[in-house]
Amino acid sequence: MLALRLARGAHPLVQTRRLLVAVAAAGVGFLLLCTLGYAVGHPERSSASVLRLLWCVLPLAATVQFAVAVARTDPSTRPRPGLSAIGLGPARLTAIAAASTAVACSLGSMVALLFYLHLRGDITGLPFDGAAADLLAADQPIPLAAALTLLAVLPVVAATAAGLALRPRTAPAPPEGAEKPVPSGLPWGIALVAVGLAVETYAGRSGDTDGLPLPGRFDGNPAGVLAGWVLVAVGLAMAGPGLVHGCGRLLQSVRPGATRLLAGRVLMDEARRIGRPLGVVTAVLSGTLAAAALHDAGTGPGAFGPLTGLGAALVLACTTATLLTAALESKQCRAHTTEALLRIGAPPTVLRSAALMRAGVLLAVFLPLTWVVAELAALPLTG
Amino acid sequence: MAPPDNDVLWARSLHCALGGSDALSGVSLGVREGEILALVGPRGSGKTTLMRCLSGQLIAQQGEVWFNSSPVHTLSAADRERLRRDRFGWIDPEPGLVPELTGWENTALPLLLRGTSHRAAKTAAVEWLERLDIGACAGKRPHALSHAQRQRIAIARALVTTPSVLFADEPTAILHRADGAQVLRTLTAAARSHGISVLLATHDAEVAALADRTVALLDGRRVGTVPPASGAEGVAACSLSV
Repeated sequence: MLALRLARGAHPLVQTRRLLVAVAAAGVGFLLLCTLGYAVGHPERSSASVLRLLWCVLPLAATVQFAVAVARTDPSTRPRPGLSAIGLGPARLTAIAAASTAVACSLGSMVALLFYLHLRGDITGLPFDGAAADLLAADQPIPLAAALTLLAVLPVVAATAAGLALRPRTAPAPPEGAEKPVPSGLPWGIALVAVGLAVETYAGRSGDTDGLPLPGRFDGNPAGVLAGWVLVAVGLAMAGPGLVHGCGRLLQSVRPGATRLLAGRVLMDEARRIGRPLGVVTAVLSGTLAAAALHDAGTGPGAFGPLTGLGAALVLACTTATLLTAALESKQCRAHTTEALLRIGAPPTVLRSAALMRAGVLLAVFLPLTWVVAELAALPLTG
Repeated sequence: MAPPDNDVLWARSLHCALGGSDALSGVSLGVREGEILALVGPRGSGKTTLMRCLSGQLIAQQGEVWFNSSPVHTLSAADRERLRRDRFGWIDPEPGLVPELTGWENTALPLLLRGTSHRAAKTAAVEWLERLDIGACAGKRPHALSHAQRQRIAIARALVTTPSVLFADEPTAILHRADGAQVLRTLTAAARSHGISVLLATHDAEVAALADRTVALLDGRRVGTVPPASGAEGVAACSLSV
């Protein structure tokens, strides 16, 4: 109940973030229910149903990542002076974070169930009722227990992940501004990207057609290509912090002025927080670009189905939102430094241009990287 | 009414309400050039609010603030910010350093913000750190330093631009007595040798004893100027180059 009370009084921006989590949860819930509908409608194609269910893991993981990022920035989960004296210590705050994440995700799942039933034609009286009755196997009764189990997956996983991410640590946190070690994942990341691209090229060349069918009508990608892409994605996520750190180092080198100094140092220190989600976004974007290139070239699989589109949109939106939330978290962590800077008379324009400079450098490095990885990934399949 | 000529900073009947109560009610004050003026009073007596009004961070609902015979209370927010950056220094009870920057970079930051070249800013910053006996801290980040060292870096950062007026809000509040006394001595000696007016807010009579003049505040009102208990310590150090 305390979680609900705290949630009720929160700032509109915080509520918006929670609402976004609920929307993402609704999308994932809907995808899961559609998989169930397919399985109910086509009992003879059980392996295809399992594959569809497995494909739902991607949007599910992206949503969980986003929910955890939102829980981390939630002001009601931060230790507040005075509250630990009345018994609201770190453990209770963790519980509150888990509870509010579960509430947002359950809300989304509920909306997904209602929307699903509505599209099947079980709930009438609104526009579009029964609009997708065929697709969702409206002639078959929906197994309620299965639906509820599927819908409960996201709230449980997200709440557990949020609780784990925000659990009280026994080791004291390093003091603010302590020089963080240079992220060491860059060589591993580059190696993984290279291996992934090589695997993909090899798999693409071998003309292997015992494909792994995708949901919607996006079938026929060989399993090797997918494995390669997964390796590329993991590699990019690992290389992200190192790349961001490098950008920061470059920015603050060679006689920097105040703007460049602040922009670069902050980027170096926030490399881990920003770099990981940025790497994930790069991987997802390059994957989308490669898929689009494949689709345009006409050599690849057929058209995107509506559900594939929904899943891809969910993954893209969730990873981007996670990145933005991480940026917000880093801004919140530096709030009192900003205050000190303003007190000594630093013009807000300096702070703003430092932020813009950071964003610009990251875009200048990561956009070409995305394009190159996408081109390299699409090359063996289109050529 | 024109301000007296030798008053560098001057306030007349400031009224300022903060959080529903009168933080200042009718405070008038003049700060002479090169003097060290102690603002004494218990917590909540309006010292910080008065200093924020005088430095242009806060605009009082009533009353005037003049700096060098020009009004501060009528300036725009951007102009007040420029005034604060160019002519005033500010020291908080907490050092408020930028954790990502090293000691000399923190000290040089006000100069860099003004657009001074990197090399000139570094030279000036290192010079000030040497004068305050913390030259060894120039290359370290704040987290690796002690409280007293950090506070000295904050003082160096406030002095590096040689401001006209230095506002020090309880600069030794979080320091041990020995550290605090030393920090204050370096601060006052540096200010005297560079002719910087210092406004020193404190609730400690011993600290106030370092000042030339004392103004007492209580519940947002001025309550009679109390002369310092044991003379103006540090006046003799005027010739001492720190």
